[in-house]
Amino acid sequence: MSALPARTIGAMEVRAPHPPVPTAPAQGPAGPSVLDAIRQGHAHTAAVHESLRSEQAVIEAREFSLWYGKRRALYAISMIVARGKVTALIGPSGCGKSTLLRSINRLNDLVEGVRIEGSIVLHGVPVYAPGVDVIGLRKRTGMVFQKPNPFPMSIRENVIYALRINGERRRAVLDEACENSLRAVALWDEVKDRLRHSALGMSGGQQQRLCIARAIVAEPEVLLLDEPCSALDPVATLRIEELIRELSQRYTILIVTHNMQQAARVSDYTAFMYLGRLVEYGSTADVYQNPRLRETEQYVTGRFG
Amino acid sequence: MTTAVQSSPRTFGRGDAVLGLAARGSALCILGMLAALALVLLAAALPSIRTFGVGFLLSTDWRPNEIVGAGLDAAGNEVEVVSPPSFGGLAVIYGTVVSSALALVVAVPLSLGAALFLVRVAPRLRLAGVLSFLVEFLAAIPSIAFGIWGLFVLAPFLQHVVEPGLKSLLGDVPGLGWLFTGTLNIAGEVVTRPIPLTGRDMLCGGLILAIMVLPIITAVSRDVLRAVPRMQIEGTLALGATWWQSCAAMLRYGRAGLFGAIMLGLARAAGETMAVTMVIGNNNQIEPSPFAPAQTMSSLLANEFAEASDGLHRAALLEVALILLVMSLAINILARSLIVGGGPRAAAAH
Repeated sequence: MSALPARTIGAMEVRAPHPPVPTAPAQGPAGPSVLDAIRQGHAHTAAVHESLRSEQAVIEAREFSLWYGKRRALYAISMIVARGKVTALIGPSGCGKSTLLRSINRLNDLVEGVRIEGSIVLHGVPVYAPGVDVIGLRKRTGMVFQKPNPFPMSIRENVIYALRINGERRRAVLDEACENSLRAVALWDEVKDRLRHSALGMSGGQQQRLCIARAIVAEPEVLLLDEPCSALDPVATLRIEELIRELSQRYTILIVTHNMQQAARVSDYTAFMYLGRLVEYGSTADVYQNPRLRETEQYVTGRFG
Repeated sequence: MTTAVQSSPRTFGRGDAVLGLAARGSALCILGMLAALALVLLAAALPSIRTFGVGFLLSTDWRPNEIVGAGLDAAGNEVEVVSPPSFGGLAVIYGTVVSSALALVVAVPLSLGAALFLVRVAPRLRLAGVLSFLVEFLAAIPSIAFGIWGLFVLAPFLQHVVEPGLKSLLGDVPGLGWLFTGTLNIAGEVVTRPIPLTGRDMLCGGLILAIMVLPIITAVSRDVLRAVPRMQIEGTLALGATWWQSCAAMLRYGRAGLFGAIMLGLARAAGETMAVTMVIGNNNQIEPSPFAPAQTMSSLLANEFAEASDGLHRAALLEVALILLVMSLAINILARSLIVGGGPRAAAAH
């Protein structure tokens, strides 16, 4: 229950140990850092690269802000998520990247005292408009969490859960969807003989792939991945990353990660966030190799955060 | 594997040793009391166990007094026949099982609903604290208070409103006649007659028990549901589950613990004495109708123990007490193992 408040504390901790980074004297002129300004509460106009102009938006946040009670977690975020591409949200703990992700399918609604301003549009539907069908909205987005969270049922029932709650009963349909989903996450050959066994007996990496299979079984338009590899070992992480590349041919993917190499490996676009603000956003190649801001460069090269 | 770990908690002075001994002693003392209780009951019940053997569990006969009747001897002469007192526990075992089952049928849906409300709705309304307190307060009300309420409010209500209503509604439905007719054993003759609706019957006992087990099932279920990882609930919601569907997922995730909560309620229902004795009608006979008076193990003990002068009668009552003890113990152990056992399994999943 405390995932979010814990992150609050994380944000507080981030502030202290990061004075203006002294280790990069060669990076442009000295002067007030953008991150310092953000820490002092100043607004920052995100450096959004031109490359995004040619993309078609599946998700669009417009001046989107969010508060947990009195604490503001997001500051007027405006960004698009490009159709058919993998977009990574990076930034130090507490920067609001998970909050932003969870705002898209309105999972933050569960948190007490949440308040928003601005809007998020998913496929032309403003998700926070009054009377919007939240359940239907969530059915159109798949989500994968930090830790694998298989339900305490069989592998098959886990995969087809989304269809079951839609009232699908036809066995043939369920079997086919189950197989297709498990094949899509390269799990079919490993588990086809034990579909009726409990999903809790699988390894962590298998469980996370199962959760991805579960998220895509109802053919969502968008996949939201919230640090999907943070609980996995390097080998399992590599498999999930390969999987993300494969799935990107069929889905629009938004992934939160605190692993900068991972963002570089799997994403087409990268957005760098800091303390609830979007700092820089552009193609991954540009953000990593040719960022507009010195602070972005310092972050992606691991000099802070 | 190279060096042994040096420090041992035992090397830290005399105070630790004393406290350790005291703690161990207290724990053993509690075990010892349970063992002594069981042994004393067993010893005191021995005469009855010897006399009736396994038959005690199968016989519905409960006659503390001998019956003198007329009979014929071998030569055909009319003589007095004396049947000795006879005891069997089946009727009260039946009464306990059925009244407890009735209680669970009523209490479980209410408790689970209340627990879901406490976990998922009440916090938003800032009611969780108040309602949790009220639920726990309900558990602290002495059973005699429930008994008095049952006797003066619930039983008359059943007698004058519910049962006549049901009788006029269902009395003539074919196949349901058994609900309103009972058998009476008068001096060996079985007589069928309509059950006089007194309100003090199995139904009333079951309902009183339901009210009494409600708080414990609710409180334990609430804790079980509260322990369901947030990830599980969010996992279902993210897939488009409705509020009800995510609640169903919560119940499924906590099913072992919830079953344990129900077993704890059952243990309380089976052992509950005072309130049940006051409202169940105290008729030591198996009647299928819930509108007939009945008897539970504990109500039998409460009713007869003070008046049991005869040795065998007393031993039979103590055998009933022994059976009750074993039953409660078994249910409690099962319940605890389910609630505690839910932990590691759930932990392994995450």
